[in-house]
Amino acid sequence: MPSATSLAPPSAPADPPRRRRREPSAAFHAYAYRVGAAALRPPWSAAEVVRHAYVVGYRCLLPVLVSMVPFGMVIGVQGMKILDLFGAHRLLSGLMALLVIRELAPVLTSVLVAAQAGSAFAAELGAMRLKEELDATAVMAVDPVSWHVVPRVLGMALVTPALTVLAAVGGIAGGWVVAVYGRGLPHGEFAAHTVALIGTWDLWASAVKGLVYGVTIGLVSTWRGFHSSGGAEGVGRAVNDTVVICVVSILVLNYLLSTLMFTGAGAAG
Amino acid sequence: MTAAAGIPARFLATVGGYAGFTWDCAAATLRHGLRTDATLREAYVIGVRSLPVLVTMAVFVGTNLSIQGHAAFRTLGAHSLVGMFVALAGVREVCPLLAGTMVAAKTGTEICAQLAVMRTKEQIDALEVMAVNPYAELIAPRLLGIVLVMPALTVLTLAAAIASATAVAVWQLDVNPGEFRDYVFDNIRLADVGIAVLKGVLFGAVIATVSGFFGLTSERGPEGVGRATNRAIVAICVVCVMLNYLVTAVAYR
Repeated sequence: MPSATSLAPPSAPADPPRRRRREPSAAFHAYAYRVGAAALRPPWSAAEVVRHAYVVGYRCLLPVLVSMVPFGMVIGVQGMKILDLFGAHRLLSGLMALLVIRELAPVLTSVLVAAQAGSAFAAELGAMRLKEELDATAVMAVDPVSWHVVPRVLGMALVTPALTVLAAVGGIAGGWVVAVYGRGLPHGEFAAHTVALIGTWDLWASAVKGLVYGVTIGLVSTWRGFHSSGGAEGVGRAVNDTVVICVVSILVLNYLLSTLMFTGAGAAG
Repeated sequence: MTAAAGIPARFLATVGGYAGFTWDCAAATLRHGLRTDATLREAYVIGVRSLPVLVTMAVFVGTNLSIQGHAAFRTLGAHSLVGMFVALAGVREVCPLLAGTMVAAKTGTEICAQLAVMRTKEQIDALEVMAVNPYAELIAPRLLGIVLVMPALTVLTLAAAIASATAVAVWQLDVNPGEFRDYVFDNIRLADVGIAVLKGVLFGAVIATVSGFFGLTSERGPEGVGRATNRAIVAICVVCVMLNYLVTAVAYR
């Protein structure tokens, strides 16, 4: 009996802080910390990770290729025209591979992943928030972050580097079509110089960029969706915020990562 | 099997629906007249709301151009060509395309979500009941508003990108400022800026009509709003990149 009465009073004042702890992650850093902690404490479903990775890859592959190939073709058109001035056609494939692998493939891929999969994540979680499905998950003693958020973030982190690599291949293929079939650059000259300026380091850098942007998109989109409010408009606003925040943070991160990777004393370039 | 067979059919149905939608828009606007006040309001709202995000984006595009141009040409021992690279790649391709993507992300999703919410709340049906044509009332002002502000937004993007590229090249990468400026301005012709503006206007028209189409044809309910916005932004990005290639292939033959 005395033990029960001594337990009862602390529970009453402890109630308000616990209620405040219900929405502890409205700020991005707190949310990212919460997701990271949930990801490190592993009751999350690996099958869900694979499922989300599959959906992201399946949905994004076509948009990524369909926009990266024309971009490679643009580089082919402009590059041939400009290098004509110097009589240095053979530099085209090398410079193009360098730009596509280091810069364009990671940025364009992640912008499209943000537009396609990121906005879908925000809309899904926003609708789940609106229909109180997230609260229902929590009531069933399942942490909504470990069940709904962590698999999405990890799935996106898995797939974005792979999409980046495929986008780079698509971009170089687009340039190859224009240069070889459109402008009559000899095929051997194009092929021989493609790998002239890039090293293994550039491929790693490209994949690392894809990984960083994938994690960013996963965190931002689920953050906006998880904390959306205010009916159907709220879902629309979550999607809008997701795309804008993702694109701007990708460009900012890209500047920082490029500075770190390609201008430092240890840069291989 | 049915799903796989349904994809091309659904794609064609969407393209056909979009064509019918733009035709209806043009016809309704001609028949009902243009709402000038609404157009100017939309132009103001779109221009002012997109500007901060657009300039932020342009600044970082410029910095990235400088860094990559420098890294690419350093291997050939020609650092100073970074100015030429910034001028050609930035003004001709990257800045118009990313300005289009950013306006799509900011304004396009907003238009689409607004219209889808109006559809969900049956406000569009209410307009039709009141004999107000939703195309002339809602779509045409947004389309013309975007088309009006896109040239200004594109030029500001170019200016911000070149300014930030200069800052990075001079302060971070130690390129000679005079040399950099000469290479930049020797390689930008007025025609390049004109083509960039033309691209911006085309992207603006795509953004307004595609997001309007997906917004007005959205399914009801919050999932419908989310899905319509998602489809709109992806369609805009892909169409803009393809349009960019077509314009480049014709203009820089």
